[in-house]
Order: sequence, then C-alpha cells, then structure tokens
Amino acid sequence: MSFQAPAERDPAIPGYGLVRGVGRVSRTVAVNAGQIGMLSWDIILATVQLRVSFRAVLRQIYIMGIQSIPIVMVTAVLAGIVTSQQGGYQFTGAIPLYVLGSVVVESIVLEMGPVLTAIVLVGRVGARITAELGTMVVSEQLDAYHSLGRDPVAILAAPRVIAGIIVLPVLVAMANLMGILAGMYAAELTAGLGPESFFYGARLFWHSWDMVYSLSKAVVFGLAIPLIAIHMGLQTKGGAAGVGRTTTQAVMFMTLTILISDALFPPLMLQ
Amino acid sequence: MIEYRNVAKAFDHPVLDGVSLTVETAEMFGLFGPSGTGKSVLLKTTIGLITPDRGDVRVDGISAFHGENDDLRKVRSKVGYVFQNAALFDSLNVYENVEMGISEEELAQLNRMDISRRIWDALELVNLEPRVVLSKLPSELSGGMKKRVGIARAIVGRPEILLWDEPTTGLDPVNTAAVEMLIARLTKELNTTSMIVTHDIEGGLEMCDRVALLDQGKLRFCGTPADFRTSDDEMVKAFIDRAAAEAALNLASV
Repeated sequence: MSFQAPAERDPAIPGYGLVRGVGRVSRTVAVNAGQIGMLSWDIILATVQLRVSFRAVLRQIYIMGIQSIPIVMVTAVLAGIVTSQQGGYQFTGAIPLYVLGSVVVESIVLEMGPVLTAIVLVGRVGARITAELGTMVVSEQLDAYHSLGRDPVAILAAPRVIAGIIVLPVLVAMANLMGILAGMYAAELTAGLGPESFFYGARLFWHSWDMVYSLSKAVVFGLAIPLIAIHMGLQTKGGAAGVGRTTTQAVMFMTLTILISDALFPPLMLQ
Repeated sequence: MIEYRNVAKAFDHPVLDGVSLTVETAEMFGLFGPSGTGKSVLLKTTIGLITPDRGDVRVDGISAFHGENDDLRKVRSKVGYVFQNAALFDSLNVYENVEMGISEEELAQLNRMDISRRIWDALELVNLEPRVVLSKLPSELSGGMKKRVGIARAIVGRPEILLWDEPTTGLDPVNTAAVEMLIARLTKELNTTSMIVTHDIEGGLEMCDRVALLDQGKLRFCGTPADFRTSDDEMVKAFIDRAAAEAALNLASV
C-alpha cells in the first residue's frame, strides 16, 4: 500500500485548510526570521570588524534622516493639531481643560510621535531600500559585488541599518517637539487654553521615563525598518514585476512589525 | 585552467546534469546552447555565485566549494567576470565602477595616481575615451558603452581568467562585431584564459580555440570550431543552420 499525503487522501477533513494555512504562514515567518537573524549577525560582524565605510553611513543618514525631516514634521504638526482639537472637543465642560495639555503631550510622546514617524519612514525609506536592493539583485549588481570580492553586507546593508538606528530617535525627538508645539497652539486657538495652562496640565502627568519609552520605540523601529527592507530586497526574484511585488510585501511586513512591536511595548516598559 | 567535474544543479527543474569539461590555460573557450540550458549557471559556478548540487569546479586547482575558507576569495581574485547586462553599480560613476575591479588589498597598496592610471589604461583598452566617460553615471551611457565599462571593470584587476556572459546580447550587429574584436584582442594582449557564453555562434566560432554545446543540461559537443562545423550531430547541425540564418538576418538589418 503506497503512502498518500493527507490532502490527497481526504481534503474534506474539517479545518484541514485552516491548519495547513497556519502551518504555511508559520513556516514562512520562521524562515524569514531565521534569514533576518543571519543578516543581523553578518551586519554586526561587518560593523565590529570596521568594514563599514563611515562615508556610506553619513550618506545614508542624509538620505534617511535629513531628507525625511519635512514629511516627518508635517505629519507631527498635523497629529498634534488633531489630538488637541479632538481632546478639546471632548473635555469642554466635563474635565478641567488644562488636562488637555497632558493628553496631547502623552499621546504624542508615547504613541503618535514614534509610530507615525516610523510609518512615514516605511513609505519613504523602507520602500526605497527594498526597491533599490531588489533592482540590484535582478540586474546582477549583487553578483557583481561578490565577483569583485566585495561584501554587499558591509557596503549596502550595514550603513543603512546603522543610519536607521541613529536617525529614527533624532526624528522622533523632533516630531515629539513639533507635535507638542502644534498641539499647544491648536489648544489656544480652538479651546482657548493658554500655553501656561497647557504646560501646567502636561507637567501634572509627565514622567521622564516617557521620553525613554518614546526613544526606545524609535530605536527598535529604526532597526526593524532597514533590516526588513534589506532582507526583502535581497529576496527579490523575477525582474521589474518582482521588484514591485517584493516592495509591496516589504511595506506590509514593515508596517505590521511596527504595529505589533508597538503593542508589545506597554507590557514591557510601562508596568 | 578551469575544470568542471560532474557539475549538477537544479532549481525548479534540472539545469545542469553532470557536466564535465576543462578549459586550458590561455585558451579561448566558447559555450553555446539554447536559452535556459544552463550556460550562465555553469559560468556562475566558476566563481561561486551559484553552488552546484553535485560535483566540483576548480580554478587552477583551487575549489571554491570544497576547499579552505579563503579559497573562494582566491578563486575570485583570479577571475574577471563580464556580466550579460554589464551590471554596473547605478550610484557610482564610471571611475568608481572601474575602481571596484581593483581588489581592496591592491587599493590599500597603490597610491591615488597609480589607481587613476590603472583605470585610465583599462578604459583605453576597451576603446573608451577616459576624459569623456570617467565622471558619467551608468544611466548616461549607451548600451555599448556600458558593456565596455563592464569589461574595463573586469580587466582592471589584471585577472588570469576572464568569463564573458553573453557579452554581445542586446547589441546591434556593428557593436557586436566591435565587442567580439575587443574580446579577441584583450584575450591575446592580456594573455588570459577566456570562457565565453554566447548566442552569436558564427562570432564564437571565429574567436574561440575550442567550443562546447550544452543541451538540456548535458554536454552535447566539445571540440574545435572546425570539428563543430563538420559534426554529424543533429543538434550541432541545427545550431549551425540557425547561425547562418541569424547572420543573414543581421546582414539584412545592417
């Protein structure tokens, strides 16, 4: 009697498709996690062995950081204004209005500053990295690096990851500041709450740890975005269509990773 | 000398199936075959860009797969690889692209002047005017110029072996002839061992000392161009007929 795979023998088993789907997704996640782990190890080795060009890191800091400032600032200002307006609308007549200062500051610093900045960078930086490396793979530029005895991890991957870890906390700190200032002005214009009352409310519930929390998120996001983008770029197959497909998947994975790790932060750091 | 010993590789389906052949030192060797039959895969196994599932490839006796940790680097330092579409680095200009062909060890030893002279000489060898192209990005070059810069990058490190992956694909007949003349001249002037994968059968037969035909991952023919032309093998005959038809078509298009 010959062996038959369960799917061929009885595809109508209840829940079989679901189990199979979960298994397939789990395997994909495990394989990708393993590959990202190996890539991380290679990046650490290249960095520790000083094989990463300082000029390349500076160039990536310029591309990922300086060039992202305008869009990050616009996003932060709008987030501050919206939070302030909605808070003002809900608090009027119910809670002392100075509490609005605390709501705006805590919302921006704990959540909106780091997460919105990271989401913006997924689109502006992460997608760019995946598309750039994917194009290099399909046009054999990666093979060319290998054939010339050069290490693409040291040349292409490490500078981007190092720059991401440096740039994200700085951008988040700037976004936090701009978001709070925008929220403060919006509170004065729409709810009549002056800056002194705004900051009085903000100080009531402020902990210095909140800034550590915010910047810790930024470091994790700054590591995750380039790492996933590079990994996905290196997996690209199949010409221009492959680059497009991989870039879309990378944006999805980076966004999901940010949101999932964001959900893991409160139980880990706010207890 | 390059030795392929029983090399096998499969992706979704078998691509190479036990290929064994030897390319002698200072020989110009041509590899023919239909598309998807494993020619480029065989070439890439030479410098470890693709790892064979079975068998071994040795360059001057050194195996990139079964040797010491440093052997892959040694193999790559002996070989210059010309990619099908040049594979120039988009973000680097011509000078920086060609400079990548010089090993990191050599770059550390040479001064700026010597490096510039090496790059200048390599560009002149491939009939490019260094003054005009040095600061250009790959996107500012024509297809033929990109191929030449790719060749300059491969030869600037003074390799003992040159591997050419379809160097004339995508070029018009005039540029094809020019690049083939360049390949023949460089092989002679630099005294290198050359292995060329090409669809231009007539050009390959003109240039090469020996040729081989791959079909469905197996070696179908290996011998001199004269033997290839007079072979009784049906596959070889079909190839020669196709070459004649393509040559006529190219002549008409010119």
